[in-house]
Amino acid sequence: MTEAMPKRHALKLTSIAWAGLGWIVLAVVACTFAPLLLHLSATATDVANAYAAPSGAHWLGTDGLGRDELARVLVGGRITLSVGAIAAAVAMLIGTAYGATAGYYGGWVDTAMMRLVDVFLSVPTLFLLLFLAAMFHGSLAALMLVIGVTSWLGPARLVRGEVLSLKERLFVEAARAVGAGDARIIFRHIVPNAGGTIVTTTTFMVASAMLSETALSFLGIGVRAPMPSWGNLLSSAQSDLFAGAWWLIAPPGIAILATVCAFNFVGDWLREGRDEGVAGS
Amino acid sequence: MTTYVVRRLLLAIPTLIGVAVLAFVLIHIAPGGPVAALVGDRATPAQIAQVTHSLGLDRPLYIQFFAWLGALVHGDLGFSYVRQAPVTQLIAQRLPATLLLMGFALVISVAIAIPLGVVQAARQRTRFDRIASLAVFIAWSMPTFWFGTLLIALFAVTLGWSPVGGLQTIDTTAFDWPSRIAHLLLPAATLAIVSVAGWSRYVRGSMIEQLREDYTRTAIAKGLGPSTVLFKHVLRNALIPFITLLGSSIPGLFGGAVITESIFAYPGMGQLFWQAALNRDYATLLGMTVITGMLVILGNLLADIAYGIVDPRVRYD
Repeated sequence: MTEAMPKRHALKLTSIAWAGLGWIVLAVVACTFAPLLLHLSATATDVANAYAAPSGAHWLGTDGLGRDELARVLVGGRITLSVGAIAAAVAMLIGTAYGATAGYYGGWVDTAMMRLVDVFLSVPTLFLLLFLAAMFHGSLAALMLVIGVTSWLGPARLVRGEVLSLKERLFVEAARAVGAGDARIIFRHIVPNAGGTIVTTTTFMVASAMLSETALSFLGIGVRAPMPSWGNLLSSAQSDLFAGAWWLIAPPGIAILATVCAFNFVGDWLREGRDEGVAGS
Repeated sequence: MTTYVVRRLLLAIPTLIGVAVLAFVLIHIAPGGPVAALVGDRATPAQIAQVTHSLGLDRPLYIQFFAWLGALVHGDLGFSYVRQAPVTQLIAQRLPATLLLMGFALVISVAIAIPLGVVQAARQRTRFDRIASLAVFIAWSMPTFWFGTLLIALFAVTLGWSPVGGLQTIDTTAFDWPSRIAHLLLPAATLAIVSVAGWSRYVRGSMIEQLREDYTRTAIAKGLGPSTVLFKHVLRNALIPFITLLGSSIPGLFGGAVITESIFAYPGMGQLFWQAALNRDYATLLGMTVITGMLVILGNLLADIAYGIVDPRVRYD
């Protein structure tokens, strides 16, 4: 085991990663501020104007209750983006703590903890997600938690793998020599050094949590109407299509697709950057 | 080899028991527990107590668990009060349809993902590789239900090439192969999209890695043609880890089946699970989780054994 620190490669932004980062910033800023600046309401109904095609008054048209689609997509974005971010944070917190503990202690602790992961992995994640979402259907916080607690397995395995190699490094021995306790070594010394893996995995987790939101909303146990989210806008747009409202399907669909793609692009770029950094050390 | 298989089988038993315990615990922490779903919201406490007692749900949890486990060993998964049928029978009715759907999706995924990944690796960093990578990313990032609906809108509604949903045309009760396959194409394509995207990326990466190996350089230096090197040497080695990936893709396929089956009104395991979750049909949920877990564990076991047969470097100790 060499002690040479991996060289810090200045991560060169590829054009596709630029596009991804740019889109994420744009989506967050637009969803946060645009509804306020444009004085749009996502819930004000106007039945006289139901199913109005895009026009100067309603840039993206209106839905079956005459609600402004642009406002609903923007406000829905707040919901979907926060579900993605918070669910990913929950998954990463559980996964990092679990994986780091298993990897650090090793031996039978590691074996037992990883056997439990095997048990969870033998049940389709969507089954668990569906079961919990149906049980605790209601609040947005519950949805975020349910998505979070069903997606920590991947992060736990990745962090464990990283910690297994990090714990052999000299800085861990140095920390132990000055009398640091296990918890301090794990969370102050080892975990920050696994930051690359953690940031990369988080990026992918946001993307997959957003897709989970859309899947659950499609199955009717995600974000509850009348609160808009990209998932339930897209699934209700499919029935609106039969009413001839073709303009409702593209905005939420493109918003989800582009945003999930953007997170995956950025995650992929981070991962490749790290792989090259390791190979070049 | 035999000892290895036996040992792996023995190791699978605790995992399976773990799955059963997990499902059992989840059902009992659910608000209201199994009884609330049976008696409805307006039941009096006395009624609840009576039903609880008559079903033996007032016994200690571990006794209930072992009673259920004992019945399971005898092939009895319990009785669904919601559907008024034994769970074993419900699953037996629907499992074949889902396995057929998953098998079809696997064939489609392999048929697209492997050639795509190989060509991308062989033409690394060309325009084709870039466009294919972008398409794969889009496929990977697409909500499955949206892709399914787009397929219905295009192939079933607009072009009329394919039925909209269901298992087969209703006018026959007999098993009708051509009709079954026609009804499988769109759902299988929907279910396959995630694995096509994931696997083609995997094959591409794995091929690129193998192309850098010394044996590849040797093969080229010997004067072998590019297609011989690519297919006889590189692809074979690149596909070995792919076997594990196939084994571990089974839970994802079962999960994907929930969404696919509900888009296409396809009566399989996914639809059964979804309805059971909505109706709080705990016996069915528990039975399905255990049967699915069993199939997942079996799939991983078969993949490990196949890996050992294909790659003689694997030692069984």
